[in-house]
Amino acid sequence: MFNIKEFRWSLVFLWASLTVIGLVAIYSATQGPVSQFLPASIQQNFDKQVVFVAISIALIFIVQFISPRFFEDGAYLFYGVTLILMIFTLFFGVEVNGARSWLRIGGINFQMSELMKVTTLLAAANYLTSQRNVSASNLRHSLTVTALFIIPIGLLLLQNDTGTALIFVGVLPFMLYWSGLPNTLTLLIVLAVLVGYMSLFNITAGLVTLFLFLILFFFLQREKRMVWIGLIIGIIVIIAVEVGMEHVLRPHQKARIEAFINPESDPQGAGWNVLQAKTAIGSGGITGKGFMQGTQTQLRFLPEQWTDFIFCVIGEEFGFLGSGMVITLFFLLFLNLVSMATSHNHPFAQLVMIGILSVFFIHFLINIGSAMGLLPVIGIPLPFVSYGGSSFLVNSLLIGIVLNLNLYERSFSIYR
Amino acid sequence: MKLDQRLQVKQISLVSVILLIWVVFMGRLIYLQIMEYETYSPISEKNSLRQIPVTAPRGLIYDRNGVILVENEPIFTISITPINFDTLKIGLLSELLSIPEQEIRDGVDAAKKYSWHRPSRLIKEINFDQFSLIEENSWQLPGIGYQIESKRNYPSGILAAHTIGYLREASPQELMTDPQLRPGDKVGKSGIETTYEVELRGTPGLEMIRVNALGQSLSTFSTGSSSLLPKHGADLIVTIDAELQGFLERLMEGKKGAAVAMNPKSGEILALVSAPQYDLTELAGRINQTYWTEINRDTLTPLFNRAVSSRQPPGSTVKPLMGIIGQQMGLIDPYKMMYNPGVYIRGRQYRDLAPPGDYDLKKSIQFSSNTYYFAMMDQIATSRRLNEWAGYMRDFGLGVRTGVDLPAEVQGVVPDSLVMNRTFGARRWGIGDLINLGVGQGLFSVSPLQLARAISVIANGGYRVEPHVVKFIRVNETQWQNQTPDPVKIEWLKPKYLTPVIEGMQAVIEQGNARYLLRIPEIAVAGKTGTAQNPTGQDHGWFTAFAPVEDPQIVVAVLMENGGFGSVSAGPVGSLLIEYYLKGETTRPHVLQHLKTYVPPPVKSEEVE
Repeated sequence: MFNIKEFRWSLVFLWASLTVIGLVAIYSATQGPVSQFLPASIQQNFDKQVVFVAISIALIFIVQFISPRFFEDGAYLFYGVTLILMIFTLFFGVEVNGARSWLRIGGINFQMSELMKVTTLLAAANYLTSQRNVSASNLRHSLTVTALFIIPIGLLLLQNDTGTALIFVGVLPFMLYWSGLPNTLTLLIVLAVLVGYMSLFNITAGLVTLFLFLILFFFLQREKRMVWIGLIIGIIVIIAVEVGMEHVLRPHQKARIEAFINPESDPQGAGWNVLQAKTAIGSGGITGKGFMQGTQTQLRFLPEQWTDFIFCVIGEEFGFLGSGMVITLFFLLFLNLVSMATSHNHPFAQLVMIGILSVFFIHFLINIGSAMGLLPVIGIPLPFVSYGGSSFLVNSLLIGIVLNLNLYERSFSIYR
Repeated sequence: MKLDQRLQVKQISLVSVILLIWVVFMGRLIYLQIMEYETYSPISEKNSLRQIPVTAPRGLIYDRNGVILVENEPIFTISITPINFDTLKIGLLSELLSIPEQEIRDGVDAAKKYSWHRPSRLIKEINFDQFSLIEENSWQLPGIGYQIESKRNYPSGILAAHTIGYLREASPQELMTDPQLRPGDKVGKSGIETTYEVELRGTPGLEMIRVNALGQSLSTFSTGSSSLLPKHGADLIVTIDAELQGFLERLMEGKKGAAVAMNPKSGEILALVSAPQYDLTELAGRINQTYWTEINRDTLTPLFNRAVSSRQPPGSTVKPLMGIIGQQMGLIDPYKMMYNPGVYIRGRQYRDLAPPGDYDLKKSIQFSSNTYYFAMMDQIATSRRLNEWAGYMRDFGLGVRTGVDLPAEVQGVVPDSLVMNRTFGARRWGIGDLINLGVGQGLFSVSPLQLARAISVIANGGYRVEPHVVKFIRVNETQWQNQTPDPVKIEWLKPKYLTPVIEGMQAVIEQGNARYLLRIPEIAVAGKTGTAQNPTGQDHGWFTAFAPVEDPQIVVAVLMENGGFGSVSAGPVGSLLIEYYLKGETTRPHVLQHLKTYVPPPVKSEEVE
């Protein structure tokens, strides 16, 4: 049924490389000299991660024997089941770091939102490719897909897991765009994102960005109406950011954004993470301080250095060579996924791959952006590299699905 | 084909976004790790390196014979770095140390006021068991560290409280002015502990240690950072003779007053007691608050060093000095007799309790006849030579600070026209206000140490010595700094002036009324007693003497507050002191007995001896 020649070994290689780098970094971050300052539960993280890697290898392998129809046909069912589990988590979940997003299954805590990512993108992909005339170019269909995303986002906010909710927000435009969202709408989304980002610094930056965008609009679209819509959306975004900062965000979230804009204003409080993360990376230099030699890492100056700030460990101990390699490996992974999606002849597989690409990409963007001080600190793991069982399993499952869809490309064409 | 084209556009735009982010991230990496490496590398280095000040061991204090008077004893101190400390742990700390929570809370607040990032002392002087408990629990007490410090220990068995002095925590002002000091550092607050504070303190060292973000220090994560060793404070070798000091302390037990024994040739203070004393041991380390409050409130003011800080009219003890000055000023012929009718009349009657008869200088000292000195002072006043007289008195060291290396020394008063004008108003004083200066009363006032210094001039043949307590500063084994100041010759003082005076002083001891108490077998002693008029109570008794007359080794000055006659209150102390120093023992139990049982008469004594 499948042709082994179709198997994407390069993807496996990238997955394995990032996994090994992750294991090395987790080892240093939990088993190095720093271990004497860590509670015993954290010291076990490396061993646990090794177990999860082993399970993941098996998982990727098993997934290759599943028919791709399974993902397509079961998409709504999986979506529904995980939604129920999410609601269940909301009431009976375990609270970790303030977020009630963990479900205890047989003594192991599992983060249900991780699985939700998979089923949501499968459901969205399935919907958008279910009939020939269904696509994001139709506003009604776009809104339906958006609703598919809004439900888990709402649940995640109720679970107090803002970080994961942001991933869903980020994935949606990618899938819509691929499914044929009109260029003008796509541009408006890009406008909203960039103007919003710049408004974090100050209103002027937001307005300047908006202005430049509108000029671009005018020359690209030659349509005055779009310029006006862009202006209105831009102003709404700027106002939303300003009002949101003052009234909607909780104090600790506001402090994080302020710390991102100006870490020196509160170096011992909210700015601490930003400063220490930048210091760790910056002091790594070209070659780094050496494995288990990073003072920032080993002396516990980095918070959550086995998950959210794992990139700083790599930056400090392996320098530009190490951290540049991680960024480049991700870059290659993304290019690989784009090329796989583009070359795939089935729209469902294409859209799933783009969804998966965007999941990895948003994680990558936020995690490394936070670590390097380009974005406010948002606690999001770096796929394959950070410690975290649920995250690693699900990300590997996604790789397994991509490999599967690729492997069975020919059998797809038989069905359709 | 249109579909393919659209796919291509999507592919290109996605790849562009991915490429853009790759470029931005790589650019940021180059910026942080290559361009800004010089900025972040030192920050990370500073992050984990802490300079821990190491207090230098304070210098030790030895007596003139090498007996150790003050040493250091190790104590454990718990320190705190507020930024790393979790205030919820105050309860745990309080439990481990069995110290009330409030006390710890106050300590934490004080530490925060000093610095959030630098360690301050939290609890001082905990015992080893408590220290071990803290160490065992250090993992759940981030921000809590310890220091091994030392406290003063006084093993010799003598008090010498006023000479040695106590330590207390540096005041906020001292912390501001002296960058070497940290809160909780102790500095000398009295005695030589304060005059030689800088020498005793040494130089604090700096230990560079690696710490983690919680302020916990690491022994394993060393990169060989250099540390600066503390420099041991200099030791002091004092002029005090511990044995004599101890003897004097026993003599002064239960008394109120002061006694000084000095080498008249060098100014080395052999023993110095201000009674009542206090116990330095109670003030060492963690201060005994009850005791501290008690000695501060005591109406007998034990903290007050009477030997250098109290000033009283010298009374008849100035008569020997008057005899010398009178000869220099040409007012008297020491061997010419002068009649004493029992009273001196000049505007009013000045009483003289010495038996009426003819007196020369020697006899006037022996019987302490006032007439002889009233007449002398009358001449000075009449011929307007008061300031000349005061100048001679200052040459003896009265009315000027002795320069002793002890704090809070008084200047005393030798009245000259300036003092008189200031006290009574310009020209509103006359002969009547001056005549009693001749017998050491009125505005005239001296400290016991000043008197000892003045009498030394007679003993050493005309030299003004500088009294001092520290003989050597021992910086290290090979570097000893001699602290003995050179005596200054009083040029005008001729040896012939001294002969009748010393004879008179010797007669006071050998033939005077109190010879039963003052004579020492086989030792020629020259001395003088005196009584300082006290308008508010019983008069103060004075005694000063030196011995042996042929080659004086010791001069003493004793003041007994409210003791009445100096011959019976202060005299026995000085006499026993001289005997003990020269003979190493006491051969006159009756004098000791007298001293123990002596109670001053409730009524005022007469103003003469």
